[in-house]
Amino acid sequence: MTYSNTLSVSRGYYAGRNQNVVRFSAKEHTLGPISNTIILVVLICLLGLLYLTQVTKTNAYGYQINNLQQEQAQLQTEHNNLELTSAQLQSQGRVQSSQVASTLVPVTPSGTVQQ
Amino acid sequence: MTPKYQQSNTTEKRPDNPLFKTLSRIQLVYAILILIVVLFGIRLFYVQIIHYNYYKDAALNDQLKQYQIPASRGLIEGYDGQSVVPIVLNQELYTLYADPTYISKPDNVASQIVSVIGGSASYYSQQMRATNTRYVVLATKLSADQSQKLLDLKIPGIGTQSQDYRAYPDGSLAAQVLGFVNANNQGQYGLEQAMNKDLSGKPGQVKAVTDVNGIPLAATKGNIETQPVNGDNIVTTINLPMQAQVEQILSNEYQKTKSQGLSAIVMNPNNGQIVAMANYPTYDPSNYQSVSNPILFENAAIDNAIEPGSTMKTLTTPAALDTGVIQPDTSFYDPAHWVIDGFNITDIEQDGGPRIQTIANILALSLNTGATWMLMQMSQPGGTQINQHGIDTWYNYMVNHFRLGQTTGIEQGYESAGFVPQPDMTNPSIDLTYANTAFGQGVQVTALQMAAAFSSIINGGTYYQPTLISQVVDSNGNATVNQPKVLEQHTVKSTVGAEMIPLLENVVTTYLNEGFSFMSFPSDYMVGGKTGTAQIANPSGGYYTDKYNGTYVGFVGGNQPQYVIVVFNIDPNVPGYAGAYGGQPVFADIAHMLINDSFVSPKTN
Repeated sequence: MTYSNTLSVSRGYYAGRNQNVVRFSAKEHTLGPISNTIILVVLICLLGLLYLTQVTKTNAYGYQINNLQQEQAQLQTEHNNLELTSAQLQSQGRVQSSQVASTLVPVTPSGTVQQ
Repeated sequence: MTPKYQQSNTTEKRPDNPLFKTLSRIQLVYAILILIVVLFGIRLFYVQIIHYNYYKDAALNDQLKQYQIPASRGLIEGYDGQSVVPIVLNQELYTLYADPTYISKPDNVASQIVSVIGGSASYYSQQMRATNTRYVVLATKLSADQSQKLLDLKIPGIGTQSQDYRAYPDGSLAAQVLGFVNANNQGQYGLEQAMNKDLSGKPGQVKAVTDVNGIPLAATKGNIETQPVNGDNIVTTINLPMQAQVEQILSNEYQKTKSQGLSAIVMNPNNGQIVAMANYPTYDPSNYQSVSNPILFENAAIDNAIEPGSTMKTLTTPAALDTGVIQPDTSFYDPAHWVIDGFNITDIEQDGGPRIQTIANILALSLNTGATWMLMQMSQPGGTQINQHGIDTWYNYMVNHFRLGQTTGIEQGYESAGFVPQPDMTNPSIDLTYANTAFGQGVQVTALQMAAAFSSIINGGTYYQPTLISQVVDSNGNATVNQPKVLEQHTVKSTVGAEMIPLLENVVTTYLNEGFSFMSFPSDYMVGGKTGTAQIANPSGGYYTDKYNGTYVGFVGGNQPQYVIVVFNIDPNVPGYAGAYGGQPVFADIAHMLINDSFVSPKTN
């Protein structure tokens, strides 16, 4: 059975007498140069988009790291200030002039327990 | 239909046919576009190929930022009882600056600034009128609050800049031991200078393509970002309450004796650690710029080498004992004067005349003739002459055993090596020179050298390198303990140290018996020492006849000496001998303080 007969049979249901059936070429379908170009361009665009997304994402992380570093520096400054305040509150001069210190009296040891 | 074709044909042939015109315009536009594209192409070729390097560099210059991330300077800490507390910290403060080109009404701006930080409006206004600069500093050391308030005013041309400063919660405490950090972040004097490298750390580095705000773009290849390594924290051996009290004692004595200056060291003779080191007068390191006399920056205890006077006998005696030419109970005939190289060597207090004397009396009565006699014994046992052997022996003890004439290596800037005369036998007055060194003239030592040498005697012969550092803690919190470093293992025999202790306790008892009531100490403690009254060399030759330095070298302890105390009082105005009345009271005050505040453990049997 030839291909055309097959067609005739298969399309016989639709084809009436003396009516031409559609010719069908056995040639393979291939994409034309324009389609190829368009697909290539689209692919390149997609890849470019993907690259831009990744770069943007990486940079966004970079900004996030930078913000965290700034926050860390700020907290470190705060920590330093608190440490300084703590040291000032415990300083020799402050302790010496405190109310508690003013009530202390000098005592010279008069002896020690001998064992 | 035909006429249409005809018309059409006719139209096509007409030179002013609109279609023909349209086509020509399109072609023209195409041509122009192609021309533009070609021009762009040429330009791009020129820019990107021919001038590639130039534009690449220009772009990198614009986008590539390279700067250092400063490392945080390490803290300096000390002992407050059992715990470690900071004595030098960092504080972020702000500098207020102005760009005069942006300021049109300096008076108005000045009054706004005054409303936030105070100060002189006329000064600010005058600064902002400067015409030859775009950067003038209006104020420094502003707090974060003040900085923010100033920025909130949103005055064009006014800005603040953060800067790290050293902060001293204890004010001027141990100022000369600590030193300060100058505007270039370099340690000056004291620990800050000696340990500058460790304290400074290592700055980080950023080399990266950045955005317009200077923030590195993480996606760029080749970015370099190394984090700074903060400086090490230095834990000193300084006992802060003790240091504060020693400074107070020096301050009181300074007022009392109106001297040129005082230095005192309290050292642990059993490991070389300095637990207190003070000088008076002193300064406030947080305001070092206002100090007009730079001598105040110097730690006189380590850089002021003076002739120590009779405290030197605490070294001469053990040297003679160590060589075996004398024993602690040796007695000898003291002629009350020696003539050496044509000069008379006498005692300051010539009472009693020629008589039999003892080693104990050489120290208790501070006999220069006795010290000279010991040098004679080192020359020739039983002799009364000084010879090369004696000079070489004594020089060897001074330089190689007691390490005089060289720096100790303590972690301080500008340590002095002092001076020991060379045993040059061609010098016609070498005998006299060395006789003088036996009782502390003609030789120069620092208080620290004296403390370290004396410590090595009373601890039984081990010379520990004096140190101010207990631990070094790196930025990761890893602590390196500074182990005691032995520089000389046998300065003297251990028996010599044991022999010296009662001899020096006897000196204290002698003074107490002579009416120096402040030299009375509880019997549970051992206290010994020696005064020194030294003539002061006149720069124009000879010695002043009315100026003396008062020195004292002693120890305090329980079963064994726990602290060595050295006092140098420079030219005190006291009624009696500078050593007894200018140095000894300071020693006594410090020794009492150490006992009263339980820094010293009493005897247990």
